[in-house]
Amino acid sequence: MLTIVSVDGPRLYPPRVTAFTRRFWEGLQAGRFTTTRCEACGKWSFPPKPFCPHCWSRKVAWAELSGQGRLYAATTIHAAPAVFRGEAPYRVGIVDLWEGVRLATRIWGAASAPLDGAVRLIVLNHADGALFAAQPMPDG
Amino acid sequence: MRGTSDMTRTVTIIGAAALPVGKWQRPAEAAEQVLEHELLAGLVLDAVSDAGVERGDIGSLAFSQCRPYTAQKYFATFMAHYLRLPCSGMVSEILGNGMTAGLAFEQAANDILLGRSRVTLALGVNFETATAAAEHMMSSMRAVGDVDFQVPFGITPIAWYAMDAARYIYEFGSSREDLAWVAVKNRRHAALNPLAQFRKPITLADVLAQPMIVDPLGLFEVPPRSDGAVCLVLAEEDVARGLGRPYVRVRSRGFFHEGAHQISEVPNDMIALVSAQTAGRAAFEAAGVTPADIDFAEIYAPCTIVEVLVSEALGLVPRGAGAGAAASGETSLGGRIPICTSGGLQSRGHPAYVTPFYSFVEAMEQLRGRAGLRQVANAELALTSAELGNYNAALVHVLEAVR
Repeated sequence: MLTIVSVDGPRLYPPRVTAFTRRFWEGLQAGRFTTTRCEACGKWSFPPKPFCPHCWSRKVAWAELSGQGRLYAATTIHAAPAVFRGEAPYRVGIVDLWEGVRLATRIWGAASAPLDGAVRLIVLNHADGALFAAQPMPDG
Repeated sequence: MRGTSDMTRTVTIIGAAALPVGKWQRPAEAAEQVLEHELLAGLVLDAVSDAGVERGDIGSLAFSQCRPYTAQKYFATFMAHYLRLPCSGMVSEILGNGMTAGLAFEQAANDILLGRSRVTLALGVNFETATAAAEHMMSSMRAVGDVDFQVPFGITPIAWYAMDAARYIYEFGSSREDLAWVAVKNRRHAALNPLAQFRKPITLADVLAQPMIVDPLGLFEVPPRSDGAVCLVLAEEDVARGLGRPYVRVRSRGFFHEGAHQISEVPNDMIALVSAQTAGRAAFEAAGVTPADIDFAEIYAPCTIVEVLVSEALGLVPRGAGAGAAASGETSLGGRIPICTSGGLQSRGHPAYVTPFYSFVEAMEQLRGRAGLRQVANAELALTSAELGNYNAALVHVLEAVR
């Protein structure tokens, strides 16, 4: 289970939910970080997809990821798109989860975030739904 | 073995005209406007005159698509009308993110290779500066990430390059100062280029003193907002030979799309730029040359870090040595392998949908020996690149001087 943090206000750029991805967003809200994994070749996909992009099999199953990983790359954005201007400067990064899944997300909190340092995904629960973020962990 | 289509034709570039990169677009409320089609039509006449061909020789028009801020829609067909230019080859308008003008160049070249047209224009105009950066990014962030799984975090186009920079500094023990030398070097080049947007020389201290845009890249290490317009004249080599003046032969091209958009879920070496490596190798092999044979390179590199990574991926400098090569002068005019003699995208400017056209213009001026104070001595072979995303795809051309 991921740590859930309540955040004031709605998401500034809410993701669209489909019949297929609803399961991801609802799971996230409940503290689970899930995605699809191919039953034919065993490879993960992220974002979740109704087919496997690696082998094009349609046999995929939902599975939960640990949410634990390391920070591969990061930046602080000072010049932001209009909708995010009130949050600037803010940090974003690329995270490699232990299971070998790479994703991009917001970096949460003020803790320093060294590259290759340990991070964990957390849930940001907004008034209108959830987003995820990466929180740097002490002791890398 | 020869097939049914004759693929032995060779594409050449025989003429060009370009607008100095800068701020041309007026605010919507301005009483007097500067309009894209008026400017571009003037460039068409200039380019055709530069090439020494006749209007009636032109069989195809390959446009880069305009930005959404251009009011005139169906711009290509409108321009065919505005120029009153019937075409029996093709009239098309092409979009492909930062690679847009590279793809338009390919479309123009392919019409010649297919025998549809003996003279083809590759042309376009990118107007965007009347729209503020924060508004423009509302659109551009959707071009460089998954709208539902990345855009909600506010990741801007150049933030991806900034993350490349962070990783590069971490892995190779480089520094912000090392990368900043690329901006200094490019401004020196731009000072000598009448088409460049920013020409006043700058020092390393100037670069480091700028406001941070996406850490570790400050204002002078990222591309400015720019308007621009270019017309290139391409021709089958028989036409070029008959004109009796210097021209540029397209010696080879290479292309590779890695099948990923920014990042995929599969961890890889993000700063190796596999697409540039692969497209470069294909172009070198097809031309029968090696990176050491290249006299200068016009690289599509919106940020300083990108120039470093691409010059490494193409084999122009060793891995991890790209930033140092700018500091030491190796990639400057007069150095071992001059890179971005036109000033690079930080100083030449970055009207993104026509940026690769400007790179062809620079290569052409150099290879025809018309680059003035920034002339690369004895320039025979040039390399150009175009890309999209975080170099998820790369298009590389090797160009050759024929005098």
